[in-house]
Amino acid sequence: MNPQFLMDGLIAGAMIGLGAIGVTLTYSILRFANFAHGELLSWGAYLALAVTSGLGLLSTTLTKPLGPFSFGWSLPLSATLAIILTGALALAIDAILFGRLRARGSAVIILVMASFGASLALRSLLEFIFTSKPAYYTKALQIAVPIAGGLRATPDQLLSLGISLVAVIAIHLLMTRTDIGRSMRAVSENPALSGIAGVDVRRVILVVWFVGAALACIAGIMTGLLVQIRPYLGHDLLLALFAAAILGGIGSVPGAMLAGLIVGLSEAAAVQLVGAEWRAAVSFVILVAVLLLRPRGLFGRMA
Amino acid sequence: MTAPALRTQALVAGYEPDLPIVRGVDISVAPGELLVLLGPNGAGKSTFVKAIAGVVPVHSGVIFLGERDITRIATHRKISQGLAFVPQTENIFATLTIHENLQLAAAVLPKHIRADKIAALYRRFPDLATKSSRLAGTLSGGQRQMLAVARALIVDPPVLILDEPSAGLSPKIVAEVFAMLKEINASGVTVVLVEQNVKAALAIASRAVILVEGMIRHEGEASSLLGDPLIARLYLGTSQPHEVSQP
Repeated sequence: MNPQFLMDGLIAGAMIGLGAIGVTLTYSILRFANFAHGELLSWGAYLALAVTSGLGLLSTTLTKPLGPFSFGWSLPLSATLAIILTGALALAIDAILFGRLRARGSAVIILVMASFGASLALRSLLEFIFTSKPAYYTKALQIAVPIAGGLRATPDQLLSLGISLVAVIAIHLLMTRTDIGRSMRAVSENPALSGIAGVDVRRVILVVWFVGAALACIAGIMTGLLVQIRPYLGHDLLLALFAAAILGGIGSVPGAMLAGLIVGLSEAAAVQLVGAEWRAAVSFVILVAVLLLRPRGLFGRMA
Repeated sequence: MTAPALRTQALVAGYEPDLPIVRGVDISVAPGELLVLLGPNGAGKSTFVKAIAGVVPVHSGVIFLGERDITRIATHRKISQGLAFVPQTENIFATLTIHENLQLAAAVLPKHIRADKIAALYRRFPDLATKSSRLAGTLSGGQRQMLAVARALIVDPPVLILDEPSAGLSPKIVAEVFAMLKEINASGVTVVLVEQNVKAALAIASRAVILVEGMIRHEGEASSLLGDPLIARLYLGTSQPHEVSQP
């Protein structure tokens, strides 16, 4: 078995982990499985593409590759703006759809079905605007360099791993060391008591949408940078995102990232062991196995 | 004339709009008073205090905290207005540590006084100080009540409402909880207490209100209720008048 699967799995797992953090936060605090979360990855990737293309038209200097990387300043700049725009998109979806359903006291199944509808609409809109033709942030080719133990990775891939690590540490610190993080954990456990204790539950919900969307945007941009940008980019990752969120334990940020890496590594191993056509089945097997054997996942609390 | 610390006028409340559980309740609690709400199961006691706290919808009527109308104030703003509520169950955040529970509650205060407030609570409840890094879910029933009350007291509320704080506790712990409530009341906090433990509650209360089917059936001095055999038999589930005993 080629050890390169470890690097491939870690890189794929980091993207899955970042997306799964958003899923797990939304699930634990808003209490429904948001099937539109994958579209936030796609929208994040495309928003960054739109901005970086615009910046490229303004100045070619901004597209000149930075050091060993395949992209110029236009990508980090556009990523920053795309994170804000994806967060704003999530808040708009909540204001137009989910917030209204919550206000009516709609059942969870209604919210889940609404998320299916939102997913379809967002994906179709993306296809309408950008077409289904794959796009790229850069055409520059990168050569994978030897790392250690026979493993190879491109500078973009290593940067993506580093960004994932920084993002997960930042979110973990946010959740454990700040007022808003404690409020998020409190609302996740008991929304009614949170209100009594002085927590503005509505504000917490908005923050959760924004944080989840921001992470989805980062994951989407990473996927777009390392693979390609397609309207189905997020949708194709959805099963893996849910498998990781449930394996990590709903509500656990480190759990979601660790589980994302496990799912990514399992998929990469499966490609070598049983063939690439079985890759998607790995997430499904993990999802079903966790639900049957340990529904609270690795770090989730007992119901 | 001093305004009541807490007052409700014709309060109608319940979970469903067309199914009121509390049906036109007027109470007036004087500053520094310890009022106990009694009544049989299903009388609407818990719904009444939850409606005051903002957890159950108010259909009509008015709630005054001091002279402020707080009827339509959002639940999370009531604590900073000076109304603290301790629910009967799930009244702490089990997955947060004791310290995080207090930090969460202190977040409504200005940043520069939070640490002092938490330190003051640790002095008042030294048991919590020694276990501050423990997950609240690992605490015993009595310790949980202590933490729930400490969380509520962090803003120095003029009014503290508790929903059956003795539920599920051993008699020894119940005595400790009631002694704590009496001490809190003696420090100047107006206390409204919903209780099934009639004897212990009347022993520390200055006045009692008896609710039946969502309406007030009787109210009076706690000591007089304890000695009234008719009240005891009809509303308090006992056939003999209670003896007053101090916890």
